[in-house]
Amino acid sequence: MGFLVTTLIFIVVGIIASLCARICCNRGPSANLLHLTLIITATVCCWMMWAIVYLAQMKPLIVPILNETE
Amino acid sequence: MNSNSEKLRQTYNELLEFKMVLQKAGDFLVSSGNHAVAQETELSENVYSNDSYADSASLLEEEMQPGPSNQSGVRFISGIICKSKVLRFERTLFRATRGNMLFNQAPADDQIIDPASNEMVEKTVFVVFFSGEQARTKILKICESFGANCYPVPEDLTKRSQIIREVLSRSSDLEATLEAGLRHRDTALNTIGFYLSKWTNMVRREKAVYDVLNMLNFDVTKKCLVGEGWCPIFAKTRIQESLQRATFDCSSQVGIIFHVMDAVESPPTYFRTNHFTNAYQEIVDAYGVAKYQEANPAVYTIITFPFLFAVMFGDWGHGICLLLGALVLIVREKKLSSQKLDSFMEMLFGGRYLLLLMSLFSIYCGLIYNEFFSVPFHIFGHSAYKCRDATCSDAYSVGLVKYRDAYPFGVDPSWRGSRSELPFLNSLKMKMSILFGVVQMNLGIILSYFNARYFGNSLDIKYQFVPQMIFLNSLFGYLSLLIIIKWCTGSQADLYHVMIYMFLSPFEDLRDNKLFWGQSVLQVILLLSAVIAVPWMLFPKPFILKRLHTERFQGRTYGILGTSDMYNEEEPDSARHPHLDEFNFSEVFVHQMIHAIEFVLGAVSNTASYLRLWALSLAHSELSTVFYEKVLLLAWGYDNIVIRLIGLAVFAFATAFILLMMESLSAFLHALRLHWVEFQNKFYNGDGYKFKPFSFALLTDDDD
Repeated sequence: MGFLVTTLIFIVVGIIASLCARICCNRGPSANLLHLTLIITATVCCWMMWAIVYLAQMKPLIVPILNETE
Repeated sequence: MNSNSEKLRQTYNELLEFKMVLQKAGDFLVSSGNHAVAQETELSENVYSNDSYADSASLLEEEMQPGPSNQSGVRFISGIICKSKVLRFERTLFRATRGNMLFNQAPADDQIIDPASNEMVEKTVFVVFFSGEQARTKILKICESFGANCYPVPEDLTKRSQIIREVLSRSSDLEATLEAGLRHRDTALNTIGFYLSKWTNMVRREKAVYDVLNMLNFDVTKKCLVGEGWCPIFAKTRIQESLQRATFDCSSQVGIIFHVMDAVESPPTYFRTNHFTNAYQEIVDAYGVAKYQEANPAVYTIITFPFLFAVMFGDWGHGICLLLGALVLIVREKKLSSQKLDSFMEMLFGGRYLLLLMSLFSIYCGLIYNEFFSVPFHIFGHSAYKCRDATCSDAYSVGLVKYRDAYPFGVDPSWRGSRSELPFLNSLKMKMSILFGVVQMNLGIILSYFNARYFGNSLDIKYQFVPQMIFLNSLFGYLSLLIIIKWCTGSQADLYHVMIYMFLSPFEDLRDNKLFWGQSVLQVILLLSAVIAVPWMLFPKPFILKRLHTERFQGRTYGILGTSDMYNEEEPDSARHPHLDEFNFSEVFVHQMIHAIEFVLGAVSNTASYLRLWALSLAHSELSTVFYEKVLLLAWGYDNIVIRLIGLAVFAFATAFILLMMESLSAFLHALRLHWVEFQNKFYNGDGYKFKPFSFALLTDDDD
């Protein structure tokens, strides 16, 4: 799956999570804002981690060279 | 009751000692009479003492006259002394009397409670034979100094037995009395024990109330107390209601007056936390409590702290172990919160939600690094690499070849165990650390913008936030951009070379290191912006502050005669500067210079500091590999079941103690440092103080 598709999947998962949080724990405006902040931060962190590792492997400069013992 | 029982016990002890002395000393003295008389004494005597001192006794017989009354001749002192002191006692007596004494001793049968130390000690009965009045006084003094108790033993056998009987009856009486006394004390203590906790609680509450009352002041009429305090705005109506209720309940004539006043000093900081957010707020507060109404970094810390921990810890097998631990703590939350835990468990329990998030993110990062106790799995499809041909002949020299798209989620499993694994992973993780670092530092600077906007400090926005953003992003933001472009295009450019020569020779041609069109021009522009940004954050602010200050106090050079009323209309902070020379320009300038230099140098050092994400992640992965390959696989290679079990046990212990505990603590600490220093020094003041309301519920915690 390509880079863009998976990025869209991350965005969709983030939106669904924030909607769930809004539905399940609707506890006043400041608490809602906190939950939204947490979910956005978590989504961005996780997406960045995945994106970095994916981009690094898209056009690698070196390839795996197996070990003799294997 | 206690003092009485003390006296009784002492008397009882003395009686016991007297009885022992009588028994043993009788042995020594009985040889002065004839053997027939000896048979009359109690047969339970230790016969050995007669035999061992038979020689000395016979000497005695020769010396002593057959009658018991030899006042002017050899006399004796009998007593009892601690066994440990007997040797020194004997030697001291020997030296004091110049050898003119005879010392007999025998160990006592039972142990006696020493009244001073309240434990059972062994005692020895002794008899000292001597002659002369001077020797007597000397010996008595020595006995006293050694703490030996002397008891008079009559020489006459009948008298002795009479006294023995008396002593026995008295001691049995005393025993009965003592036992009754003990029983009485036990019942008294039991009845008190029911009420003890209630009484202690009540006393503690009264004490706390008096502590608070001490902080209040009498007003002019000395008839009522006045106090000042802080309360949250949302609680104002509730406080007024409770005050009315209190007035009503204690039916006092005068109502309690609750009056809101303006404060000169800064209010305390109060963040309302629940079980979940409490741990994060505490770790932020450990660095410094936020200034009143400043942005709270704990909001972002809730996610970024476990995330950075996970970047350094990434292994989904270990993550699952941590998750199990966290779930155990959370499920038994109610039970554990009511117990009294020791300090280590208390810390673990307090951080249970921290542990939960850390473990969840560790599982995620472990899936990305593709490490399950350092073993990779093909969970997300096939690897992107395969042998060049069917024989795989050059897999060991040239390597595999990439024949399809990149592995969809995480690090390709073909890398594990290959010779080029470390160069690839090192490059990946170092660049990842730089990217995360630049993003987190930018977040910090943006938070400082929001702080400045909230406090209406446009000076900070224009002359601090903007140049800081420009400086950081034109250097390290550009580096991040280069990293991403290099990954996307697969170029062979050397980024070290690009960055260094951007400074050294910016107008030189890039040749092989050209990543995109217009790179040289962009580099020159960025370099110029960074160079301009430094004096931009250094110079304007102090001069503008000085100008503002002189404008504000322009008309006030003619001295302000001490009426404080004039300053009540102004804002609180300027009321504190009645004199012109309060604004110390050189101080402000030096402060700004330090701030600017700290930022500029810190930009390089903080970015490099984020490389610890790479370092710890590498260490964790290597440790994990070593334990797996050199312990578990090695042990599993043998057919013997015992060796396999031993290998498994060693692997389990090593994983639990070194990887789970030590590495967790290490990653925790480094993630915390990254937050406290690299993230928070971009925006956090942290010089507030915490709001500590009076609470009965917290009393028990404080006292413990």
